[in-house]
Amino acid sequence: MLQFDFLDDLRRMNMRQLFYQVLNFAMIVSSALMIWKGLMVVTGSESPIVVVLSGSMEPAFQRGDLLFLTNYEQEPIRAGEIVVFKVEGRDIPIVHRVMKVHEKDDGSVKFLTKGDNNNVDDRGLYANGQAWLNRKDVVGRARGYVPFIGIVTIIMNDYPKFKLEDSSNRMEAEASTSLHLQLA
Amino acid sequence: MFGPHPLMAQTMEENPPKVNKWDGNALKNALDDAVKDVLLTQFSYVESHKLLDGRLIISSVAVGFSIFALAWDWLYPFPQSRTVMCVCVMAYFVMMGVLTWYTTCLEHGIFCTALNKDAAGIDPDDVWNASSSLKRPFFSRFDNKYHLRLAQRMGKTGKGKEAHTTLTVEHFFDDTGKLLYGSVAKEVLRLHSDVDNKKN
Repeated sequence: MLQFDFLDDLRRMNMRQLFYQVLNFAMIVSSALMIWKGLMVVTGSESPIVVVLSGSMEPAFQRGDLLFLTNYEQEPIRAGEIVVFKVEGRDIPIVHRVMKVHEKDDGSVKFLTKGDNNNVDDRGLYANGQAWLNRKDVVGRARGYVPFIGIVTIIMNDYPKFKLEDSSNRMEAEASTSLHLQLA
Repeated sequence: MFGPHPLMAQTMEENPPKVNKWDGNALKNALDDAVKDVLLTQFSYVESHKLLDGRLIISSVAVGFSIFALAWDWLYPFPQSRTVMCVCVMAYFVMMGVLTWYTTCLEHGIFCTALNKDAAGIDPDDVWNASSSLKRPFFSRFDNKYHLRLAQRMGKTGKGKEAHTTLTVEHFFDDTGKLLYGSVAKEVLRLHSDVDNKKN
């Protein structure tokens, strides 16, 4: 009987230790997640940090640069600003410069973008029939950057990119691409 | 089928652990485990998990907030989830602060709490707390002074007594890094009788 009690005690103690180890690991992951969510709340952008994947914004941004974004509603979009936007139906954000802006009295805005290093504007990249972008397509405005650090995600991403056989996708890939940097 | 498991049969006394003698952390952990083992086996004390349970609860609440935030953001994508995110993130870091306070102030190096249960079950238990720290002298790279403190709080009177000792770790380990259980037991027993005999 005593043997059983001893075994149970040991097993009980180990359960606690095991649970504690699991929690420790969960706390590390949670800390990263909470920092990312905190950044989202503070900047107002759903993706506060992105990596530049293509050379369509050279010489301003090179492939591998890390961009910090903010997305405050009050700040108006002006021509010349660099914005990161998502085209409806696609989930890869694109980082280009705003070329033309039309703004109404009620604050609604439509704008056209173009990559600095591209020959044509982005109308070819927008959804079918779409000629302008709206405020809701904007992920954020570039506020600062760190060069070269994002090269790791490019290396990780280059593999799947070459698997694209569709020619239109290839054109899109060449024209402009960038990638979410998933922290959590 | 119900016979003793081969590993369970060996107590720490029969099979003391062997550690890397240059790793201060491993030394402290091995010593703490040995002291706990002596306290629980030599006297008929029962281990109390209250301290560790407290830590588990705080951590669980923190992780709970983070999981909730993850789920909420997935169900209601970003701009709508803003206030909930804000609350969860702040709550999480507050819990982290609470955890840090808990470990530094409340636990304060205590690695074992044992209860001396009253045989009749009437009077409240005496609580024995063992805490330790491994400090190193300012001039040396290596931690080698093990401070062990044994404190007793009488259940009946609520009064506390304690005794502590400081010994170099070489005292408890041999050249190969194997724990000398006998030395640990001797020290713990000595401290225990010191505390018992002290006048309130």
